[in-house]
Amino acid sequence: MQTFIARSIAWPETATSIRERVRALIASHPRDPDPAKRANCWSVADPAFSASLGEAGFIGMTWPKAYGGHERSSLERYVVLEELLASGAPVGAHWIADRQTGGMLLRYGTEEAKRKWVPGMAQGKVFSCIGLSEPNAGSDLASVRTSARRKGNRWVLEGQKVWTTGAHFAHVMIALVRTTEGSERNDGLSQFVIAMDTPGVMVKPIIDLTGGHDFNEVFFDSVELEEHALVGVEGDGWRQATAELSLERSGPERYLSSTALFMELLRFVGPAPSNDIKQLVGRLTADMWTLRMMSATVAAKLAAGEDPALEATIVKDLGNSFEQAMPELVQATIDLDLSGDDPLARVLGHLLQVSPSFSLRGGTREILKGIIARGLGLR
Amino acid sequence: MNEQQTMLDDMTSALFAELGQTTPLAESWPKIDELGLPNLLVGVEAGGFGGSWQEALIVFRNAGFHALSAPLVEAILAAHVGSSLGFAGRGTIANCTDASSSDGRFTGTLRGVVAADGANFVVVPLADRGSMVVALDNTTRHERFSLSGEAHDVVSLIDARAVRSPVDMMALAAFARSAQIAGALDASLALSAGYVNERKQFGRMLAKFQAVQQNLATFACEAAAANCATMAAAQALDRGDAGFEVAAAKLRCNRAVGVGTAIAHQAHGAIGFTAEYSLHPFTRRLWAWRSEFGNDSHWADWLGGDVCARGADGFWSHLTHLTDRMIA
Repeated sequence: MQTFIARSIAWPETATSIRERVRALIASHPRDPDPAKRANCWSVADPAFSASLGEAGFIGMTWPKAYGGHERSSLERYVVLEELLASGAPVGAHWIADRQTGGMLLRYGTEEAKRKWVPGMAQGKVFSCIGLSEPNAGSDLASVRTSARRKGNRWVLEGQKVWTTGAHFAHVMIALVRTTEGSERNDGLSQFVIAMDTPGVMVKPIIDLTGGHDFNEVFFDSVELEEHALVGVEGDGWRQATAELSLERSGPERYLSSTALFMELLRFVGPAPSNDIKQLVGRLTADMWTLRMMSATVAAKLAAGEDPALEATIVKDLGNSFEQAMPELVQATIDLDLSGDDPLARVLGHLLQVSPSFSLRGGTREILKGIIARGLGLR
Repeated sequence: MNEQQTMLDDMTSALFAELGQTTPLAESWPKIDELGLPNLLVGVEAGGFGGSWQEALIVFRNAGFHALSAPLVEAILAAHVGSSLGFAGRGTIANCTDASSSDGRFTGTLRGVVAADGANFVVVPLADRGSMVVALDNTTRHERFSLSGEAHDVVSLIDARAVRSPVDMMALAAFARSAQIAGALDASLALSAGYVNERKQFGRMLAKFQAVQQNLATFACEAAAANCATMAAAQALDRGDAGFEVAAAKLRCNRAVGVGTAIAHQAHGAIGFTAEYSLHPFTRRLWAWRSEFGNDSHWADWLGGDVCARGADGFWSHLTHLTDRMIA
């Protein structure tokens, strides 16, 4: 039984030159003095950095040139992503637009919606968020109740989304809502593209346990949308949105969120530490290296036009467990004053607190394991 | 896989399934030899198969998947080193590195010689990461057995022909064990998934219990990691220098053994603990292989030492250097 066929990976010939360009761009950008900002960096928004990445052609890399993209291969894009994450660059502002929304609009959106939103996303100036969860629809996403009803040639939205990452700086949302009154579960759902400055859209922050602000509640009070705001086919929203989820799960951000901690650990312990520290570093290295190979294998399968949804799920589950284990292992091995200013203590303290969210966002561990169990023929 | 690799995969799968875990060596070896499999890594000009390490991965993994008892993996590795140094016949390897090194003639004792009975020569990994090939004539053999019942003999020799080789047999054999671990984990996972779909308790299949599902999903993740880490090592070996990738693969596979065997036995309940049921040929081999050619601490020391010496600024650039040489 093999749920994940390993494969030799052919890296793009341009990989080395792309890495050099990305590293130079990161080095030229002013660095946040707080080392904790380099941990879990795809939640750290810096619009100026996103704009310079867009200008350099590192956003929307695989999109058509006609919509501001660069028509590069998905493995070249993968190289850019892992460079950004490994250095802890603040990529949070444009991350969702680049990873999901742009591609989704290009695939399902109307011509008007594509022209309106995608070029700005590729420039790193238009940011997006995704409206999935609701107060009574978390892991059970098919329970969404937010509705859109036709009114003449317009749509009217009513309801509420929650845990919406980046809604407070996003320009646009793609939301999954119910378009057929009385429909149940995954029937009768559709996707809409919503400008966040549309009258009736209200964003309310949710402050996390560290005092940080990543996610929000978003309310829709008689929000009127034009016809072309419908994304794809009316009633086909569930299929469209779940296809998006497997793209969401496959990227290198699913194992690299704690990399800043590993880098600070290496700085802290120096070139020739004691045996127990060497062993910890060795173990973490083997895990990280293996996850990198797994994640790149998924990218290679995507590039070959396959649908490695199960493999992507495995990478996310294993990756989340790794990036959650690392803070605990470092804390157990290195004696640190967590109230101190040492960069290792700063990053560790931050990750100890935020890492529980890693196996919640983008599909909880329990949901992922259920999907893998289905792949094993158990459900 | 290319066409040749698919053929190799099909051929070895079928053969190993037929030979299984119990066919005596006298019966199995002629069938293996007839197909030329021991010369998988020997060059075509020397009458071998001229195979790559990715092809070796296919054979090693299948050997693990079928818990093949015949010492083919060892013979392939031994021929890779010994054939060009004038050693012929069935070679094998030893899994202990404490032999005194010698170039020319060897007198002394070798431990952990796999299936020494009837073998013509043995390649011994040395502590300095080179190896030594020793002819197995006039030996005194003391039988010892691995956890899974395979002969791992202690062999005493007097004035035997011995040749030093720079080949790092420790690393090559660690790679081979990683591939076998990956295969045996997949086989144990398949057995476990099959079993919980047959066994009913509390009026429903075990497979329908969420706790069982989640455990096997965890197992699948570990098996996937072992397979991917080993593939990366094979790809690196085909490029030449593979110290980092092999260390990472054996360490990662060793760690997968603990999770995988525990879940396999838990899913099977008491039946999996019996001599009669065919889970233990996999799990006992997995436990044995975890010690062979470097346990966790051996490779974690090596890998951790390498990474710490490169430092925070050298870490990521090294990782990317390793992959960027694998271009299309």
